[in-house]
Amino acid sequence: MLNTDKIRSDFKVLNEGKSPIYFDSACMSLKPNSVVGAMNEYYYSYPACAGRSPHKMADRVTKKVKEVRSLAAKFINAKDEKEIIFTRNTTEGLNLLANSLDLKKGDTVLISDKEHNSNLIPWLLLRDKIGIEVKIIPSNEDGTFNLDNFSMLIKGAKVVSIVHTSNLDGVTNPIKEITKIAHANNALVIVDAAQSIPHKKIDVKDLDVDFLAFSGHKMMGPTGTGVLYGKYKLLEKLNPFIVGGETVEYSTYTDYKFLPVPEKFEAGLQDYAGIVGLGEAVKYLSQFNFKDIAEHELKLNTYITEELKKIPQIKIIGPTDPKERSGIVNFYIEGTDMHKFAVMLDEMAGVAIRTGQHCVHSWFNNKKIYNSARVSLYVYNTMGEAEVFINSLNKIIKIL
Amino acid sequence: MPCIVALIVFGIMGIFSASQRALAKEALDCVFKRVTLRPCNTGFAEKVKGKLLAKVITRSTFLAKVLNKYYEIFSWVFFILMVGSTIWVFKGVYDFYVYGSCNGLNESGFCAFDPSGSNNAVTAVDTTCGITKNAKKTVTLNNVDLSTFPTQNVGSKDNVVFIGCYACDYSRKAYPDIQKLIKAKNANFVFAHYPAKGSITNTLADATYCVYKDYGNQFWDFNSYLFSADKNYVLDKANLNTILSKFNFDIKKINQCANGTETKKAVENQVTELKKTGLYGTPTIFINDKAFVGPKPYRVYRSAINKFIFF
Repeated sequence: MLNTDKIRSDFKVLNEGKSPIYFDSACMSLKPNSVVGAMNEYYYSYPACAGRSPHKMADRVTKKVKEVRSLAAKFINAKDEKEIIFTRNTTEGLNLLANSLDLKKGDTVLISDKEHNSNLIPWLLLRDKIGIEVKIIPSNEDGTFNLDNFSMLIKGAKVVSIVHTSNLDGVTNPIKEITKIAHANNALVIVDAAQSIPHKKIDVKDLDVDFLAFSGHKMMGPTGTGVLYGKYKLLEKLNPFIVGGETVEYSTYTDYKFLPVPEKFEAGLQDYAGIVGLGEAVKYLSQFNFKDIAEHELKLNTYITEELKKIPQIKIIGPTDPKERSGIVNFYIEGTDMHKFAVMLDEMAGVAIRTGQHCVHSWFNNKKIYNSARVSLYVYNTMGEAEVFINSLNKIIKIL
Repeated sequence: MPCIVALIVFGIMGIFSASQRALAKEALDCVFKRVTLRPCNTGFAEKVKGKLLAKVITRSTFLAKVLNKYYEIFSWVFFILMVGSTIWVFKGVYDFYVYGSCNGLNESGFCAFDPSGSNNAVTAVDTTCGITKNAKKTVTLNNVDLSTFPTQNVGSKDNVVFIGCYACDYSRKAYPDIQKLIKAKNANFVFAHYPAKGSITNTLADATYCVYKDYGNQFWDFNSYLFSADKNYVLDKANLNTILSKFNFDIKKINQCANGTETKKAVENQVTELKKTGLYGTPTIFINDKAFVGPKPYRVYRSAINKFIFF
């Protein structure tokens, strides 16, 4: 069981004046003091480059980056730290793959019908540029993954690029089964783990995925940090997407030789402070038992879901059972712009939620739903906060 | 509609505050989308509505409900009020520039640009000096015979008639500006002294009548002196002869004339004529038949005589 009081004391923003009721962690998680402290320490004490200069400060950065790479590898149970590529975020990781996989005209990429734009637009762009085919796997009516639909579409597909936990409805897709089917059909599997990494234990060996991308900012790490995991043998075969400094062993006026994985994918000076902060976030998150996190989120999600069900106008996106929605409760009222809900909740009680189409415009447009209001929970949220949210929401509903 | 209201409100507030400027930009974006027949999907309108409702709901759920339900109507009402008040403000600025009062010609209501109301202050013709809050009256030169009053620049296309009193501060304040105007525009100028303060002003009325009668254009320097010299000195009867001699006037002749029944009658007739204008205070200045009551800024007189206000 999580000790939320203890957890909350680790976050400065939750201990200053009237702290916000922060229900927007699916967009951006709060940062524990240790993460901010580690980044400050980098800037204050050793703000140097890694891997280039021979001085002590640079050496400290090099060691730190290596340490974080190793931490990240361990965190997702990667075979080797070389399988960890630092990126700016999940989007960059997915773009790197879309542009490096050497797909040809006519190759098929399978994606679900609830993909974040980060896992939709890169493939649509490739479709327009080189003529790949993008096929959509329709979900069940309640938003859960339909393995039958997937099994029908997988034949002949080159790549399956799929979200692990959806930021739209919190549904977690059966990645292990998907991977098994995909591999049986010689397709590569790419997983967008941006929403799952903060809430679930990810074991890339167990899942057997080929690539997995996630962001630091949703797992209490700094913004502008992310990781792309790839099986080493596959990464070796990929061409780098962005090249330049730090990616080559040598160059002449007419030639060059790339460094081995992962360096050949990490062009230019890296965000060392961010990487240090990411390492600290991994450490912070590693102290938790993920079952406790899931249990805590389920308790809050169940309360909110039950209360929302009492309001007839409100419709919850995704399965009605909160067990299947991780820490997300996404709801809407037909014909109502939910934006004012978020503004009112913030003004009335300091409740921070997100409204809009949550970068899944394709799904909203397909369903002809204007927008929704999303509550996303995390380890620092409390039942008291959930009650304030429900009370405020009930007041707002009364004036509709 | 809320976007337009917000654009105007935040646009004005944005002049003073950077945070309001950002909201004004959002509102502009919203308005631009609406005028180009696209939906305002910036979330701005809902944001503003949400902020308003949140403030109201903490006080009264009922009021919040009403506001939410009739938000568009309220927006229209505020928009119309805003347009109305904006027009009113512009009219006020125009009136202040052209008439010296935000409320219009000779109106003495509160004006933010002239909070003390000095541009409309007059000396009441019932001999009470001070700022009077007179109702607007029709003051006119129709059927008023001005032929016996001192006149300059006869034949000019513009006409200025100054009705004032040597003893009145507001007349004394306005006179130099009128002189300046006459010089600048070479306008036909009629000066009429209205003895608003009893005995001493009656004495001065008689004396000035005789000076103009006997010395013609020499009157103007004498007249300017009476308006510009120390008021207490000028109003002291004992100093009148000294002042007359200062201008080399024949003291005996002027005194004889001033005390004559013919002069008394003529001055009385002049006052009777002036009363026909319906004046209620001094100074009252007619510029091309438009009456300005109270000492206005110089620009007001100049605007009245200019063809296009500014030139």
